[in-house]
Amino acid sequence: MKKSIIVSVLIMFAVVFGATAQEGKDKFMVQVDGLGCPFCAYGLEKKFKEFKGIKNVKIDIETGDFSFSYPAEKALTLGDVEKQVEKAGYTPVTAKVERANGTFEESSAAAMMQKTEGAVTKNVMVAGNCAMCEARITKAAASVNGVTDVSWDKDTKIMKVSFDAELTSLENVEKEVAVAGHDTKNHKAHTDDYGNLPACCKYERLSYKK
Amino acid sequence: MRQSIIILIGLVFASACKEKEIVPKEWVLSKTIQLDGVNPIGLSQVNGAIWLSDGDHNRLVKIDKEGQITETIDSLDRPMHIDAIEETLFIPQYGKDVVETVDKKGRFVMQLTDSLDAPAGVSVFNNERAIADFYNNRILYFDGVNWISFGKEGKAQGEFYYPTDVQITNDKIWVADAYNNRVQVFDKKGGFVQMMGQDEKMNAATGIFVAEKEVFVTDFENDRVLVFDKAGKLLQVLRDQIEKPTDMMLKDKKLYVINYRNGKLNVFDKQPIEK
Repeated sequence: MKKSIIVSVLIMFAVVFGATAQEGKDKFMVQVDGLGCPFCAYGLEKKFKEFKGIKNVKIDIETGDFSFSYPAEKALTLGDVEKQVEKAGYTPVTAKVERANGTFEESSAAAMMQKTEGAVTKNVMVAGNCAMCEARITKAAASVNGVTDVSWDKDTKIMKVSFDAELTSLENVEKEVAVAGHDTKNHKAHTDDYGNLPACCKYERLSYKK
Repeated sequence: MRQSIIILIGLVFASACKEKEIVPKEWVLSKTIQLDGVNPIGLSQVNGAIWLSDGDHNRLVKIDKEGQITETIDSLDRPMHIDAIEETLFIPQYGKDVVETVDKKGRFVMQLTDSLDAPAGVSVFNNERAIADFYNNRILYFDGVNWISFGKEGKAQGEFYYPTDVQITNDKIWVADAYNNRVQVFDKKGGFVQMMGQDEKMNAATGIFVAEKEVFVTDFENDRVLVFDKAGKLLQVLRDQIEKPTDMMLKDKKLYVINYRNGKLNVFDKQPIEK
């Protein structure tokens, strides 16, 4: 009987202590673009190990959902998290945190873009085939007010664009490129615009998740 | 009588010619083994037994012919493309920046003269060693005496964009240049020799296995394994049951291909092509 009481007390202590420990953690949830394989997912995890005290790291490669908990007293900001995702080579789409005190903070892609100040450089997939495509894509992107530099690699299909985030956004650049007839990661070109491309530029259309 | 002899000689010649005819062969799926709770990334063999690195679960597992786990090596940190020589397993640990060796004497960390950032693949060949150093975009190669390093981030020949696997052969070093979507081949001084697969629209060439006459490459996102000859000519594309493949191995004339996501081990045999 005495033994049972001691065990019960110990369990109660463990539960209470566990709950307290859980209360002392901020829970971060980030949606990450660009995760495709275990190498990417483990890479993201590896870069976040630099945050000493990180726990409960979970990454879903399919959805790009990434979550972890972190000691509340360290007051990690969403901005810090987004920077670390970018340092690992990926793009944060949305980020939110449930603070240990029960409050929520959130930043969406649009909000992130608004918060960005000054010159930024982004990489994004743009479909195309050849040197003519390259000329068309870079011309369209460069026509957007605020864009300072742009290049496109026909092998990797990656457009690298630098712009003043106070004047424009990656979304605006992608829209302009799509109008020129080229599918981008987030904007599909209209069938008519694609149809107007010369035969050699008729690339394989990108597929988009519904 | 004379006519019969002529016909007989003719038949003998015809059959002799037929025997000499080379029948083309290709790889055909013979078996798929569903693994239980394993997400394999690399595979190798020790004494004929297959070992798989299970990155998601931080372990290596040895499996029997039915895919049942018979032995486990735990407490690893994201083990990736493994290799083995004699009875020693070489395990690159992506999360811990080390290559660990495991044999009957115990577990040891391979001593290097340089630091790694996410080792994704290792190769052993006699007393030579090579490591695909993922985030440093380079290959470290030990020729038995000295370590050398070659490669840097980029898309030009000799440059890498996240190399994930490597294999040493008699006179070359073969690299799965994953996110440049190609294979690159180097001499043992680190000099660029050739490139292959760059026109095959691969999406993450994550694994490589070089056999006597063929080179096998996993095309991770496109759910394919591409088979090239050593000059880089595409010979065959394997798709049957292949889904998010990460590595391959030839063993007893069978080709083993592992699927990362659904945990399957696919076995292919080389069979004559039906006309």
